[in-house]
Amino acid sequence: MKRPILMAFLLSISLLSCGKKSDDIVLQDWNFGGRPKLIEFLRQRVYSFEKLHPGIKVIQSDKSWNMIREILYADFSAGAGPDVMNTHSNFAAEFGEAGFYYPVNKFPDFEQVKQWYIPHLLESTRYKDNYYGLPSSAIAFVLCCNKELFDKEGIAPPKTWSQFREAAKRLTKDTDGDGVPDQFGLVLMGGDKGGFAYRMIPLFFKAGVNVMSDDLKKIEFNSPMGVAALKLIADMYQVDHSITPGFLAYTHSEINDLFCSNKAAMSIEGPWFRGMVGDKSPGKDMYVVSVPVPDNMIAQYDTAPTLQDMVMYSINARSKHLKEAWELLKHLRNEEADMFWITQDLGATATTKSALNSREAQSVNDLQLYINELNHARPWPPHPQMIAIASNIFTPYCQRAVVGELSPKAALDQAAREAQELVDAKK
Amino acid sequence: MKKSTPYLLLLPALLFTVFVLVYPLVQNLINSFSDVSMITGRSGWTGLKNYEHVFEDTLFWRSFRNTSVYAVVGTGVALVVGLAFALLLNLKLGKINTVMGCLYTIPWIISPVVAGFAWKWLLNDQFGVVNYWLASAGIVKHGTTWLGNPGTALICVMLARIWQFYPFAMVMFLAGLQSIPQEQYEAAAVDGATMVRRFFYITLPNLKTVSSVMLVLGVIWSFNDFNMVFVMTRGGPMNSSMVLPVLVREFSFVQFDLGKGSALSVVIFALLTTLSYLYLKMISRGEPT
Repeated sequence: MKRPILMAFLLSISLLSCGKKSDDIVLQDWNFGGRPKLIEFLRQRVYSFEKLHPGIKVIQSDKSWNMIREILYADFSAGAGPDVMNTHSNFAAEFGEAGFYYPVNKFPDFEQVKQWYIPHLLESTRYKDNYYGLPSSAIAFVLCCNKELFDKEGIAPPKTWSQFREAAKRLTKDTDGDGVPDQFGLVLMGGDKGGFAYRMIPLFFKAGVNVMSDDLKKIEFNSPMGVAALKLIADMYQVDHSITPGFLAYTHSEINDLFCSNKAAMSIEGPWFRGMVGDKSPGKDMYVVSVPVPDNMIAQYDTAPTLQDMVMYSINARSKHLKEAWELLKHLRNEEADMFWITQDLGATATTKSALNSREAQSVNDLQLYINELNHARPWPPHPQMIAIASNIFTPYCQRAVVGELSPKAALDQAAREAQELVDAKK
Repeated sequence: MKKSTPYLLLLPALLFTVFVLVYPLVQNLINSFSDVSMITGRSGWTGLKNYEHVFEDTLFWRSFRNTSVYAVVGTGVALVVGLAFALLLNLKLGKINTVMGCLYTIPWIISPVVAGFAWKWLLNDQFGVVNYWLASAGIVKHGTTWLGNPGTALICVMLARIWQFYPFAMVMFLAGLQSIPQEQYEAAAVDGATMVRRFFYITLPNLKTVSSVMLVLGVIWSFNDFNMVFVMTRGGPMNSSMVLPVLVREFSFVQFDLGKGSALSVVIFALLTTLSYLYLKMISRGEPT
């Protein structure tokens, strides 16, 4: 009995040892978020990379955008993580300082690669003297207006805060006559801390408010105009009731549903919104305009900055195949790849000069507006604690002010105090 | 058989336990007394500082209160609902019992994440079925906010938890009901006891052990429940439904304060160990303490 078992064991061992060990270099590429169309495009891109580089195998994994920070922190701190990944460009400060990202400017051909991109967009990947990735797609936050509701009401998209408030008021209606409004002027994303901050800050930026001083030492979002921006939203919620009452529970999907079903007239969003709405409700049209400015700043309507966000592709500083990862990065983000943002409507704005200046770019919806907004837009300040400040301090205090638990001034002052403590502790 | 053979056979299980249970527990305990960052690693002992930070944090006390309500009230209501259904199923109505038994247990077999998403949509203020029914019946106004209202978010999550836990209680109670000797009911009937008196003087006392065990088990599981709260509200709005397991994530992976997160885990562990001890005592004695 023992002999056959022993024979079987030895046979399996010998069969296993006969297998040729692969010499392929294996790269892990983690893709966070993205609409199905984008994910499919990235798969094709990886496939074409493998064909061009027969000795390199790329394992691509799709992961949740919402868990990006937790996933990467957990992996990086354990000395693991992918070779290549896409993240927010404002992670450059946090992960760059922590030594998790490899400075791509150390690659000898970086100066050539740098020429592909619109300079100020590439700058978003920089922290101190290093660039920690290549831009993937740029995002400017704008105001998306439900065309059907605006046309029905006969009003134009707002340009100033007064017009914004008035439009929201007029578009808040009881459409079924039961005495309760079921159509609202504005919808906000309150169920996602980061998402809420990203939709509030454009109003602050348009009013000339800084989140931090230029030297990144002082919190400044509680300036009088910052308080005014928050008061605008608080008044719309508490006085006008023109913001959806349940906004504190909303994430992307609820906003999309409300907009598509004509229950919401406006939302501050990025370039993905048209595609999201189109996927759910084909043919649904919208006006995409700049986020309104304070009344006295109407002259700066086209030039006042909105929030710029960007997705970049980065390399893990601990990757064992830095050179190959760089080749993959370039393949994913070269000028040819960038054209897909133009031709395929992947939900963000291209970042290379050639794609944005191409003939095809002329026919892309809203592209000129996004290009103009991106020319003036500002990213979150590149402070390593910025994400924590936005999500854990700025958002909860602003939400308390919107629902009336605190006055806008008290909320922003308290938030600024706590944020300053965090910044000072970092110093 | 050699003397060492049993030990050798036990070794894989022992190693597995050490790696997946003992090592993380010990590491967590060490972290809770350390200044530990995901970026820089452990940079020294801090004594009880992390615990101080946890207890000084008002969010901890709010979460503790929420968790206690969620666990105790949620489990209590689930037990009452479970008992009611168990009594119905115990009426022995033939095949209807089997069909209803299967239907009633569906919530228990659904993944908490799936259930959480389903409840989130049921309770949606604009499109939710719950609002539609309640508004149609004139009980609430259309568009009433449930999960976006700090006053109702925790209650809604508890409702979903009760919905998911009651089938387990029902099955356990049904088993308990079927083990009650019929002679007791017959004797009571001879004495002229009404149905209500039979329930309070025969049924409930006989279910005392199973009720106590279920209560402790339910509280332990609810105290540890992360999925339902995280999926439905993420502890919001404005931390109104924050519970301790979600707060551990908040401390560790949102604020990236691993020391504080570890300290809170140890506090939860101590609380649950005490409850587990009570549970084990009940099991070993076969009667409630």
